[in-house]
Amino acid sequence: MLFRREFKRNLRSLIIWSIIIAGIILMYLSIFPSMAKEQANMDNLVNAVPEGMQKAFGMDRLSLGTLLGFYGIEIHLMTTLLGSIYAALLASGIIAKEQNEKTAEFLLALPISRRTIIAQKGLAVLANVLLFNFVIVVSSLIGFQFASDQDLPYKAFFLLELAVLMMHLTFAGIAFLFSAVARRTRSIVSVSLGTVFVMYFLSVVAGISERLSWLKYVSPFKYADSAQILTESRFHPLYAVIMGVVIAGCFLSAYWYYSKKDIAV
Amino acid sequence: MKPIVDIERLSKTYGKSRGIKDITFSIEEGEVFGFIGPNGAGKSTTIRTLLNIIFPTSGSARIFGKDIVAHSKEIREGIGYLPSEVFYYDDMKVIDLLRFSASFHRCRNEKRIAELAERLDLDLSRKIEDLSFGNRKKTGIVQALLHEPKLLILDEPTGGLDPLMQNTFFELLKEERAKGTTIFFSSHVLSEVQRMCDRVAIIKEGALIKVETIENLMRNNLRHITFAVQQPESIDLSGIRGIVKQEILGTHLKLLYEGDLRSFVQGVAELPFSDMLIEEPSLDEIFLHYYMK
Repeated sequence: MLFRREFKRNLRSLIIWSIIIAGIILMYLSIFPSMAKEQANMDNLVNAVPEGMQKAFGMDRLSLGTLLGFYGIEIHLMTTLLGSIYAALLASGIIAKEQNEKTAEFLLALPISRRTIIAQKGLAVLANVLLFNFVIVVSSLIGFQFASDQDLPYKAFFLLELAVLMMHLTFAGIAFLFSAVARRTRSIVSVSLGTVFVMYFLSVVAGISERLSWLKYVSPFKYADSAQILTESRFHPLYAVIMGVVIAGCFLSAYWYYSKKDIAV
Repeated sequence: MKPIVDIERLSKTYGKSRGIKDITFSIEEGEVFGFIGPNGAGKSTTIRTLLNIIFPTSGSARIFGKDIVAHSKEIREGIGYLPSEVFYYDDMKVIDLLRFSASFHRCRNEKRIAELAERLDLDLSRKIEDLSFGNRKKTGIVQALLHEPKLLILDEPTGGLDPLMQNTFFELLKEERAKGTTIFFSSHVLSEVQRMCDRVAIIKEGALIKVETIENLMRNNLRHITFAVQQPESIDLSGIRGIVKQEILGTHLKLLYEGDLRSFVQGVAELPFSDMLIEEPSLDEIFLHYYMK
């Protein structure tokens, strides 16, 4: 019942975000054919970019001239960043909203256990993020058909999207945990968004600076590194495990903590 | 017979000063039990602890014989709760909200919803976000009553209702009482508690001051005594114990007295007054009296 309610309540934002991401993907892919024709110019353009930046955005290993290279550099940034923002907003809002809008008192006075509340809200987050990623995959596949008749290494693409999905769930898990644990939830949505931006920034820094490259172990943006996954056709198991552990840890801790928490209304 | 609500040395501390200390009282089945105290005394804290929205720091409580922490979900199946400020999901219509609430109680009683809405003059097709404070409260009343709970917990229920609606509301409560529903009625307005309740618990700064039947509260020996005298200033009452308050109004001397009336009358017998009026104080004054102590 609560799951259905949460799903309905968040459906509008899911639709809006889906339209935006599908629009961006299709738009980018539709300009790929004309860009591929100008590949010589594109390569010059890429070479003009400082080496550090090239590395940070994977341009040293991916080519803008191939469809997946183009996808990994241009579109991947959008799906990871926008998707993480969406996931963080969704997951922090789904709990924090009850307290911010003072509806928690109504919900908690109903005959429903805290565990059911948090489990159904968690499932609603999962369902929304899955659907959002489904939209990414489908609109990418559609876009590919129109963009090029090259044979695509689909395995690499699906591995990349698996990494993206896990990354979105990682940010969703972190934001979900934040809002389940916070006593005052008013600023939790901003904090969750801030986490996404800080992590993105860290991944860029880790790419540019040799000295700070250890930061790549900190940021989920590096875990879903398009250059690595697309060139090696391999999603680093260590990263998959780290994200898996973070996702499970966050949702389970949220589940455990929320059942014992005083809800301030 | 087992009490419906049984609170034992319940404490909840949070922040620096807010909270409740060592509250103990019980409510019998079918009773209308008042919970009286000024704003911030800990009424809502007690209620939220009973509903397990917050957890007790120490002590325990049982509702329907079940522990409020261990069995909170089952307990809430039998409770209708009207919070002091009603907040619902803004994007829902009144009827959807009520159905949503009913679905958790596994009762689909469209007839009762329609009936209650009609009596309270509530438009079920409106969106929650468009409702006035009073209409939100009405929605809250319907929501609390629709699954015919065994225990009604009402926190400042009349706030936001106009006098006519308050009457309807009290009628509804009387019908509930007639059905045997136990009612826990929290308020800072004493006259409405006086109107409905069998017993009251008085709470102040988080501590329970007294549990008393309304009858006994009204029957205590606190009295207003007014003397008509020529020169009130010249009256010397220093020999009489038990005067709580005294003031002079023109040719009248007004006292609030607590104690044995006979010894008072003997003490003032020689005073030069032309008239003496002894009145029962209102519950508000009785309460103020306890509150000042």
